[in-house]
Amino acid sequence: MVKEYLDKYPRNPARSLWVMKPVWKVLKMFGKAIIHRPVTILYPYEKMWMPENYRGRPGLRFDKCVACGMCVKMCPTACIKLVETEDASGQKVNRPQVNIGRCAMCGYCAEYCPVDAMTVTPEFELAEYTREDLIYGPKRLVYEGITEKMEIHLEQTLMSDIANGNPERRVSPFKLDRPVLEASKCISCKKCEKVCPVNAVKMVEHGVNEKGRPILYPEFNNDTCICCENCVEDCPKDALHINEVL
Amino acid sequence: MAYSSILDWIQFKDVMSNPFYPYESYNLPFDISYKLWEILGGLISWLINLIFPGNGVSLWLISDEVSNMFALVLFMVIIFLVAFIVTLLSLWMERKVLGRVMDRRGTMIGLKGFMQCLADGFKTFMKENVIPRKVDKMTYMWTVSLIIGTSMLIACMIPLSERWFVVNYGTGLLIIMALFALAPFFILVSGWAQNNKYSLIGGMRAAELMISYEIPMLIMIATTCLLAGSFNINDIINMQSDTVWFFIPQIIGFITFIFCATAEAERVPFDIAEAEAELVEGWQTEYAGMKWGLIMLADYMRGYVSCAMVVIMYLGGWLIPFASADINGIMPEIVFLIKVWFVFFIMIILRGSLARVRTDQIVNIGWKIFMPLSVVNLAIVLLLKMGGVF
Repeated sequence: MVKEYLDKYPRNPARSLWVMKPVWKVLKMFGKAIIHRPVTILYPYEKMWMPENYRGRPGLRFDKCVACGMCVKMCPTACIKLVETEDASGQKVNRPQVNIGRCAMCGYCAEYCPVDAMTVTPEFELAEYTREDLIYGPKRLVYEGITEKMEIHLEQTLMSDIANGNPERRVSPFKLDRPVLEASKCISCKKCEKVCPVNAVKMVEHGVNEKGRPILYPEFNNDTCICCENCVEDCPKDALHINEVL
Repeated sequence: MAYSSILDWIQFKDVMSNPFYPYESYNLPFDISYKLWEILGGLISWLINLIFPGNGVSLWLISDEVSNMFALVLFMVIIFLVAFIVTLLSLWMERKVLGRVMDRRGTMIGLKGFMQCLADGFKTFMKENVIPRKVDKMTYMWTVSLIIGTSMLIACMIPLSERWFVVNYGTGLLIIMALFALAPFFILVSGWAQNNKYSLIGGMRAAELMISYEIPMLIMIATTCLLAGSFNINDIINMQSDTVWFFIPQIIGFITFIFCATAEAERVPFDIAEAEAELVEGWQTEYAGMKWGLIMLADYMRGYVSCAMVVIMYLGGWLIPFASADINGIMPEIVFLIKVWFVFFIMIILRGSLARVRTDQIVNIGWKIFMPLSVVNLAIVLLLKMGGVF
């Protein structure tokens, strides 16, 4: 009779104890969980530790900013705008204003800031009652206690460095790329000199033209240039372009 | 009439000396409620006597008969409150333990999360009483009332100790079992009355569940009563303290009964009547607000009763083994509740680890596993009984 039964149900009777396996696992899990703290944190009362380069809202170093507009150009959600404001000495200066409601917290503004004035901050609790409150003006954007690690540096490895057996070297493109003049297109309009935020462009005389007017070509101070491309963009005759020169 | 002190109206009489005392032995909750009424009734009759000196109502309020009557009312309140708080504590324990099993924290609101139960109850009680238009209203309301009512009745009828009981009668275990087994019928009728396919399937499944576990469970209860020689809960527990806890001679029955009790309380893995993953909420689909909250409370009360049955039948009830009568007399209620919560903990671990059985599996489990095991258990007990061990 037993043989008939086992032929009909050819299962190992010990397999009926499969119930104990998950029970044992759950008991082990329970034991672990009461000894250690659970994974969950009680958010409003406890906060997770945030690294310094956490992509929170953008922060600004008001004095370091040169109003080059690089962040405005690079922002993928177009939430940054340069607005006129007063600095500590009462002068009118341009500084970025961020619409946090549109900000994607990508950190591109901090990455592309050539002077590291724009940084990321670990601040992420940004809820406000109205949409107007979400617009962070330059003064409000200033974040107390910006540290070195909140700056994000855009760095790259050069192909030449790899070829020369020095692959660890990282260089910022803002130190490599400089505007280059195509002299035949230049009409000496001095626009590049006006738009340069760091006064790195100087118009130098190169003789006179047939009408007796001086021919001025821009010359770039490679030490102070921050490669913000404002001159390239504003050139009416497209006489400037950015090239890797250094 | 001269001014009478309040102390003249509050006389702490011994409850046993009352000629209308309803029990044969000492009953602690009745004593508490009797003393409470002596304070309350004495205060009321003193106040009435201040305003209308020398009236009959004051004397009537503190007479033996009336004291007994009001003490019985307070007694009911006390018994219910204790069962209610025990149930809430089980609910809280389930939430916390399940949380830890899943590496969460469980509820965290107030008193380590206990207040969440009260908040949930309060929330469901604030809800509107919605009755769907196409249900059979009378059956719809009556069945849910009966389910909740029988569950609360048996939760109140569980004796916590020799001195903490509602009624001490010869067939205690059988009566509790009979009332316990009533709910699936109401669930079936309720599922029919709700005019909803999920409810109907849930009700059918409740009936299917019942035909699979009820018979082995009753056989095991009969086995325990056979071993103890009585249906009386006191006798069963005293027998266990005289010999050994009954889970030692009938370990097969103990394990099987835990599973059967889980099925009786309709908890995971035997919650096929509810099955919120398959049927929306099973037979509770059309119940909302306060009714749903009470059904949930009744569920946990049934869980508490299941665990109490296990403790009474196999784990020695309110008595500590090898302890003298003095130690056992200190807090037998607390000992009983600690054992109940231990069994409930096993049920929570089962809930955390096992998946719900399928509807075709439950009958197989009931008739091919539980039934032979319970018969084997009965045979072992019969052999022990005939061999004169017990």
